Amino acid sequence: MSAQDFLTLTGVSKVYRRGQSLLERLKKTDAGGTKAVSDVSLMIRHGETVGLVGESGCGKSTLARLVSGLMAPTSGEIVFRKDKTGRTPRLQMIFQDPYSSLNGRWTIEDIIAEPIKVHKLRKGRAAIRARVDELLVQVGLSPADAEKYPQEFSGGQRQRICIARALAGEPEFLILDEPTSALDVSVQAQILNLLRDLQKNLHLTSLFITHNLSVVRIMADRIGVMYLGELVEEAPSEELFRRPRHPYTRLLIDAAPDMDTDDRSLHPIAGELPNPAFPPSGCRFHTRCPFAKDVCRSTAPPQKMTDAGGLYRCHFDLDLSNTSTVPALAKMKTA
Amino acid sequence: MTSPLLDVRDLTVTINRDAGMVTALDKVSFHVNPGEVLGIVGESGAGKSITGAAIIDLLVPPLKRTGGTITLAGERLDTLSPKAMRAVRGGKIGFIFQDPMTSLNPVITIGRQLCDTIEAHLKIGGDRAKKKALEWIERVGLPNPDVQFKRYPHQLSGGMRQRIVIALALCANPALVIADEPTTALDVSVQAHILQLMRDLHRESRTSMMLITHDLGVIAKMADRVAVLYAGRVAEISLVGELFNAPKHPYTRGLIRATPMPSPDGNVRLDQIPGAMPGLGKTPPGCAFNPRCFKAEGDCCVTIPPLTARESAAFSCFHPLEKEVA
Repeated sequence: MSAQDFLTLTGVSKVYRRGQSLLERLKKTDAGGTKAVSDVSLMIRHGETVGLVGESGCGKSTLARLVSGLMAPTSGEIVFRKDKTGRTPRLQMIFQDPYSSLNGRWTIEDIIAEPIKVHKLRKGRAAIRARVDELLVQVGLSPADAEKYPQEFSGGQRQRICIARALAGEPEFLILDEPTSALDVSVQAQILNLLRDLQKNLHLTSLFITHNLSVVRIMADRIGVMYLGELVEEAPSEELFRRPRHPYTRLLIDAAPDMDTDDRSLHPIAGELPNPAFPPSGCRFHTRCPFAKDVCRSTAPPQKMTDAGGLYRCHFDLDLSNTSTVPALAKMKTA
Repeated sequence: MTSPLLDVRDLTVTINRDAGMVTALDKVSFHVNPGEVLGIVGESGAGKSITGAAIIDLLVPPLKRTGGTITLAGERLDTLSPKAMRAVRGGKIGFIFQDPMTSLNPVITIGRQLCDTIEAHLKIGGDRAKKKALEWIERVGLPNPDVQFKRYPHQLSGGMRQRIVIALALCANPALVIADEPTTALDVSVQAHILQLMRDLHRESRTSMMLITHDLGVIAKMADRVAVLYAGRVAEISLVGELFNAPKHPYTRGLIRATPMPSPDGNVRLDQIPGAMPGLGKTPPGCAFNPRCFKAEGDCCVTIPPLTARESAAFSCFHPLEKEVA
């Protein structure tokens, strides 16, 4: 681990086991299960924001829970850099739904003060209250809001409260799990701008999870793309958009409709997401990949490095810098 | 000029609360031409879904339609009896809902649900209805129609379910389809499939469509004309190209600029609109957008700007944006 590394994930996997029948338990057979996260290695440097994108069921939220320590990985290790005193960095999480992640019976002051009290960051009621006011101002609310209850706020304001609560713990590392998916476009822009300012001013290291590629492009320095539990590509943001290496990344970028009204073509990805409990053999994307050959069906692709410091899992070295290089998929029927 | 298929004039919907009446939709007017896709955009609370539900009289109390006229192909819908309205729903007007899990009956096979709709509206029965149902399952792109016919909604994936909902909406050959957030619950890759399917079916049948969504990307790809709603009022109606390239209403431009969307040169800009949409019953006097608008002046806070038509567009703003010189 070099001095710059903040968090290192090595071969992290998580298997959700299904319940075993009595007979299976007696026979001690392996019940199997869903491999939600499969052999993910990722490194986050100090002060960096790493984005994780993927469709539902790709394991991005599971990975967030593993990193936050809410769940233990089945195999692999997650190592935070310890500071000189041997203490691991403090970590906070911001969740998707600002309606269910705030306790409706607590005032805003109680909510934001809790991490301060738990971590004993301020002593005395006055000091805690002063810190709460400071945090409220920092996220664009007013100190007068401290007396109110969450119900009195709109979705965007609630998400600001969630951010203030996360910052109250004075975290060095922030995990954001779809922080703006439940918000309207105009409010989403406010929250993203706020998060961007906070990241810059507080030098936070963060893991930003979303399904929206445009959002992650704005927020992250590096982006990892996940598909069925595997990290299929990881690269610096602009590199990923300019020259994706994995066909799935290319197709995912094209699939989201942009606002160009002259070119109204749609770019669906062939087929549907396979059941994550039974991922395809070989390369997991081969059932939907327009470039798939026989080797993809039988052998899992190796992990390759790029010059720009990215990595990808594909048998081939494809040039995917333009949309037009992908063969037409319209004729392929949905499985 | 052809006469519009659907003409909505001054549609007003109110909520009856103990404290008094709250206006949810305030004199919304628009029309849908034959064969056209009208997009309706807005943020949550703008009244998009209420508009769709009001047209087919599916408003849930305390929501109530209190004014305005709705005309479909020359026939007044707002004065129809509930029984006559039932024949319109699913017959002349098909509806695609957001959540494919809750808009299908979980204890009836999808084949049965399709047959029921076909039998009720096309007045054909037995084998002919079944044959038509199988045809539709195939038309919406599901493999092995015979197998799918006997399956239950929970046995299908989200995308496949939404395909069935589309088949249900279209199987009675409606004149108009109202699609309320048809792809919001779906992943990007599936969303593109469903949009492609809707586009193909629309081209084949030339059915008019009202596409309600909050996603400007979907609007840009699918709609011919777009109505932008804000706080229960129409802010702007315009041709899709014009709307994105030269929006007239400051809210429209704000919405476009707030959407994180990379421009062709790779730069990402993100301009936020300050504040939030006013809640129900908290609409400020004058233009509803005035507290958030950078062009607001004294008159905006007093008088509600009327919907003024200019060329092919219409907007409700006293200080419309001029076309930007790029």
